[in-house]
Amino acid sequence: MKQLFSQFFGTVGVLDSIRVTLIMSFWSTLIASVLGIFLGLLLERKDFPGKRLTVRINRTLMGAPPVVIGLLAYMLLRKKGPFGSLRWVFTIKGMVFAQVLIITPIVCGMVYSYAVRTAPAIRAFARTMGADRTQTGRLLIREMKNEIYFAVVSGYGRSISEVGAVFLVGGNIKNNTRTMTTAISTLKGAGDYYEGIFLGVVLMIMAFAVQTLADYFRKEETGDENF
Amino acid sequence: MKISNLEKQMGDFHLHIREMNLEDGLVHGLVGSNGCGKTTLSKLITGILTPDGGTIDYEGLTFRDITMTSQKPYLLHDTVYQNLIYPLKIRGIRPDEEEADQWLSRCGLLDKKKQYARSLSSGEQQKLSFIRALIFKPKLVIVDETLSNLDPDSTELFEQLILEQQRKRPITWITISHQLVHIKKICDRVHFLERGEQLAEGTPEEILLRPSHPAIRNFLSKTEVSFRGD
Repeated sequence: MKQLFSQFFGTVGVLDSIRVTLIMSFWSTLIASVLGIFLGLLLERKDFPGKRLTVRINRTLMGAPPVVIGLLAYMLLRKKGPFGSLRWVFTIKGMVFAQVLIITPIVCGMVYSYAVRTAPAIRAFARTMGADRTQTGRLLIREMKNEIYFAVVSGYGRSISEVGAVFLVGGNIKNNTRTMTTAISTLKGAGDYYEGIFLGVVLMIMAFAVQTLADYFRKEETGDENF
Repeated sequence: MKISNLEKQMGDFHLHIREMNLEDGLVHGLVGSNGCGKTTLSKLITGILTPDGGTIDYEGLTFRDITMTSQKPYLLHDTVYQNLIYPLKIRGIRPDEEEADQWLSRCGLLDKKKQYARSLSSGEQQKLSFIRALIFKPKLVIVDETLSNLDPDSTELFEQLILEQQRKRPITWITISHQLVHIKKICDRVHFLERGEQLAEGTPEEILLRPSHPAIRNFLSKTEVSFRGD
């Protein structure tokens, strides 16, 4: 049993892959959420030439293949790339960078879609209540918190499930930049299906825990029916 | 409050109020058919919309003194009580729970104080929105069709609240309603709008009982047959 345990956790660096996944998904979701929420609200608020095109480009990026974004991130970060001096290739920072490029349009697009439908009413209400700009901004976030949270959870889901970009930018280095998804890919290559399934279950538990947290925050808003 | 040459283009609709006087401390009624510009004018006064031209002389009023309620009010994702005290909170005023309870009790909402506001019926939501507009003691209240679809008892309650308020501490009201009986009962001045312009201004009797303008006579003949006999 002990041998089996050490063989399993040692072969592909399972514990390290969980650690790397947690660090990477936390930072990429956090940074992408801050950027995405801000940009989504800004896009709803401001009118400018080319706005419709911007929205369309953002929607395209929401569904862009991660491997393409990963390649772009790699090109930007490689030694001869514009950000080569950062030395982020094959590091967790580089993987976070690539994931921020993938997740930001998702959060931005989801926040924008909801804000277009609800923000004008919230802003008008705030005006009639005499709220100043800061109070109106705070109210917008507060009133849209469920949808914002949903966008963030979606971003997080994309972050932990993504393989292509982190493979390209991180290099799948054992105990260093190997994530749970790239570890699963490696295990599959080695024919270790059971270990792959184990990691998959851990990933699902992580997603379930985040969803449970979301439900906990939403619990006060039950009984929304009108009678 | 004085409005001069106020203009706003909204798609094909053009609002142009050459001159309108909204005397302080009176209840003003805005009357006219659908799409004549009543709500657009209200939104311009509250600052929700920005005018394309012209001026509104608020005569010392700030946006913090003005409020508006509508037929479909916006309610926060929160309890009835939290909705009621929201305007106090943003002004840094500590809510007096006893006073809040009195307002809720007056509208029959006291037992729903801790209930999620959006689970109220539409009539209850309108009542909540109305008392929320009054709790912070504004100086100008715009009531945009808040009385529509309310039962007679609730309409009477609203009228009582407005008249009581005027006895205690007169403020300026702009009420928009298709219920001409209600307009006649509570308004001091009536402003008749047609296609984005003010056609006439006067007392309820002048405008609703002895209309001089053919467009007003036409509107009255179509809207409330029984009104004149009231």
